[in-house]
Amino acid sequence: MPDPSSTFRLTEEQVQLRDAVRTLAREQIAPRAAAIDREGTFPHDIKDLLARQDILGLPFPEAYGGLGADLLTVCLAIEELSRADATTGLILAVHALAATPILLAGTPEQKQQWLPDLAAGRRLIAFALTEAEAGSDPAATRTRATRDQTHYRIDGSKRFISHASVADVVVVFAVTNPDAEKPSRRLSAFLVETSSPGYAVARLEHKMGIRGSPTAELTFDDVRVPAANRLGAEGEGFAIAMRTFERSRPGIAAQAVGIAQGATDEAVRYSRQRVQFGRPIGELQMIQAMLADMAAQTEAARALLYRACAEIEHGPAEDAARWASMCKLVAGDTAMKVATDAVQVLGGYGYIEDFPVERMMRDAKITQLYEGTQQIQRLVIARSLLRASA
Amino acid sequence: MPGGIWVIGQAAAGGGLARLSSEVATLARALGEAGGVPVSGVVVAAEPAALAAELAGFVPRVLAVTEPALAASAGATVVAQRVAALARTNAPNLILTGADPDGRDIAGVLAALLGWPVLANALNATWGPVGPRVEISVFGGKQFSTSEFTAGRGVITVRPNAVQAVAQTPAGSVEAVQIADHLALPGVRVVGRIHEQHGGAAVEDARIVVAGGRGIGGPDGVTLLEHLAEALGGAVGATRAAVDAGWIDYPKQIGQTGKIVKPALYLALGISGAIQHKVGMQTAETIVAVNRDADAPIAEFADLMVVGDLFEVGPAILDELRTRRG
Amino acid sequence: MRIVVLTKPVPDPAAAEHLGPDGRVDRTGGNVINGNDEYALEAALKLVETHGGEVTVVAMSPETGRDVLRKALAMGATRGVLITDPALAGADWLSTIRVLAAAVREMEFDLLLVGVDTSDGGAGLVPAGLAALLGLPYLSNAATIEPVDAGVRVNRITATGFETLESATPAVIGGTQALGAPRYPTLKGIMGARSKEVAVRTLGDLGLDPATVGGAAAGTRVVDLRRPPERGQAKMVRGPAADVAREVVEFLAARGFI
Repeated sequence: MPDPSSTFRLTEEQVQLRDAVRTLAREQIAPRAAAIDREGTFPHDIKDLLARQDILGLPFPEAYGGLGADLLTVCLAIEELSRADATTGLILAVHALAATPILLAGTPEQKQQWLPDLAAGRRLIAFALTEAEAGSDPAATRTRATRDQTHYRIDGSKRFISHASVADVVVVFAVTNPDAEKPSRRLSAFLVETSSPGYAVARLEHKMGIRGSPTAELTFDDVRVPAANRLGAEGEGFAIAMRTFERSRPGIAAQAVGIAQGATDEAVRYSRQRVQFGRPIGELQMIQAMLADMAAQTEAARALLYRACAEIEHGPAEDAARWASMCKLVAGDTAMKVATDAVQVLGGYGYIEDFPVERMMRDAKITQLYEGTQQIQRLVIARSLLRASA
Repeated sequence: MPGGIWVIGQAAAGGGLARLSSEVATLARALGEAGGVPVSGVVVAAEPAALAAELAGFVPRVLAVTEPALAASAGATVVAQRVAALARTNAPNLILTGADPDGRDIAGVLAALLGWPVLANALNATWGPVGPRVEISVFGGKQFSTSEFTAGRGVITVRPNAVQAVAQTPAGSVEAVQIADHLALPGVRVVGRIHEQHGGAAVEDARIVVAGGRGIGGPDGVTLLEHLAEALGGAVGATRAAVDAGWIDYPKQIGQTGKIVKPALYLALGISGAIQHKVGMQTAETIVAVNRDADAPIAEFADLMVVGDLFEVGPAILDELRTRRG
Repeated sequence: MRIVVLTKPVPDPAAAEHLGPDGRVDRTGGNVINGNDEYALEAALKLVETHGGEVTVVAMSPETGRDVLRKALAMGATRGVLITDPALAGADWLSTIRVLAAAVREMEFDLLLVGVDTSDGGAGLVPAGLAALLGLPYLSNAATIEPVDAGVRVNRITATGFETLESATPAVIGGTQALGAPRYPTLKGIMGARSKEVAVRTLGDLGLDPATVGGAAAGTRVVDLRRPPERGQAKMVRGPAADVAREVVEFLAARGFI
């Protein structure tokens, strides 16, 4: 077990996997990025490519056909994919996020039933917690799951659910214990197949960025779900969600670091080639200062992410939430700043579709909003700091 | 038959002597004159008389070997074995072939059978202290090396368009030879031939190449290339992007995994000039590029860089050419 | 089917300097699989996927070539053989084929695939020379490869199209890009490659005398090395298509192309 406080280096295997994803992203995904954004539809061909190359299998244990990769390795892959295209990085990030409840709380039978198809990329999975009135405040969830002998019946709606329109199964959080003493004991988690009668995608959002990632509003109209599809015990849903975020927030941080790196790469390349006043603009100090800050800040976000992954997996369990929130907080803000600066470096050209930085800037914003807003991340961190005994 | 320098006459795809062989023969003759060494041609074919007569237009003596096996079998290995047999008794010091696929196959088998070193892809050769000094472009034109054989003996393959073919007068003599020995290496049967729909001049032989890249966008762009090639008397070429997209077939691909060409004029339409393509054409004498992007890498090594839409500039060039001729 | 594929580690063509100060190829930098060898390897992998069998990849190179073999293993090859020996530095073509032949003679195979030429030397003579030394049929410039009864059939690219060749096996085949784009190694392939065998063969293992193969026995030598002359700045032309076209045609006419 690596000493989390030591200087951090990737293992040879991690380097190989990272480089393989980087090559694939550069050669096969980057050329598609602009079209994916322009068309605004889920890139099934890219998803198939990720499945074929075993990338979607990274988060899953080898026993179920996955690669059994650790959290850091999954984040390396998300980062490299996002560097080329944030939408593509999200395909892996959402798949990993949504499968986590099964990994954390599933019975051996449930794992055997669901994980092999997910690991092979034959089926996609999404995560449905957020509702119109329950965003930052999941305790305000209204979707109900009522026990009916061998089944539950789910009624309600969800909002802003990534990939729910292309997923085969969705992890749905619904109220099973409306009278529980603590609000955090009201929810349960269910695996709902999207082919179930009563499950509908009511609309897809038109978004500022990650436009190839479908964001769905879902309605559940008496959707019957076998009781065997409940993950964990009744009332355990909120806890499952919180523990999931400890592992999924680094994934979004990785997406953010990838976006920042991609934006930095573009800005540097442009600065080498663009000639004004008789020389490449990279020779101008104001440009140099911006590029230097972009690179240093990206590197700092990356270092925190890698450290956080190690701490979440090997450090004290009670600190995991703080590490997850810290890396997501820093990386999201970094991505937004660096991508904005990249547009600035490119000047007018940064504002038009011919160059990718405007897309990167639009894509970056979401990393400050989803998977818990930056404000929520700060609450989590502060709570953790203040909880610790003196 | 004394030793000296030999040049192997290769058949062109459509019959007759390959133009490359006339170029190689010219180079061989120049080397022979510089080194005071006799030069002979060798032709091995099912019916060698016509080929030999053509080759005799470039070298003083030609050995014409009749080889019935070539009627139905793949040629290079058979040709090489016959030449090797002749070389063992006649002891030339140098044997030259073309550096095209057929020539390479002959050279590889021949040099292995004789146990001779090779200098491949020669652009030029002069006579040095111990024998020929051969100029080769390495690493896709990034560097030029001059090399020689340590023992003054070996096989040389010569690139197309490296040398201008110059006939000699009077024509040389032809001597018929038959070799009855058993062919030791296992044969390869030719069981069929397919002629491709878009024929046209082979891009590696052409003096003028009109090539298209990703920017030509599709079959309409290919038609534009064909019209320009026709108007200029050249051949159509392509980058890997155009071939991968299915717009042009692979034999026309120029670049790292395609052909290396050295035409007098290379007209590049919608080609960025990335390294994988650049290595295939950067030694062209004159390079003219048309591209919407003024910062495309090809601008760094073109002689004339037209910044514009090839679908406007291309037809305008055709119009201008017609006006000039009309 | 048992297929051997020769994969040559070459300097990444996109990088800069490649000949060291001694005129020998500088192989210390990052290496990639020679382009045409990758196509040959892909063809081999597809053939064993369809017909069953194994693919052995062979590389003759310094130790740094091990990465190239590992990539081939990650793509799906069964095992690798690295032929390496300090005496091989500076080996010329003839030495190369003699060494490769010695290594390959230790193996049993139906097909020996080699890319038709390499991006770092490009002579294109190794497959032909190797076939001659091994006494095997040689089918060059292959666009397709298909096993047939008691042999193999290849569509060979010619100047005017294709010729269809057949021979007995074992046979040597020269592979081209037309064989089809090589796959990316899957992540499972990459992890699995770590446990696949890479055997090492030195000249001693092959029973070869360094004095007869290798740099010491080179039959050629480089006497000069220089960069090509700079082409000079491109003349940039912009403007309405008709004007631009006139300028281009005048440029071409001045140089005798029209």
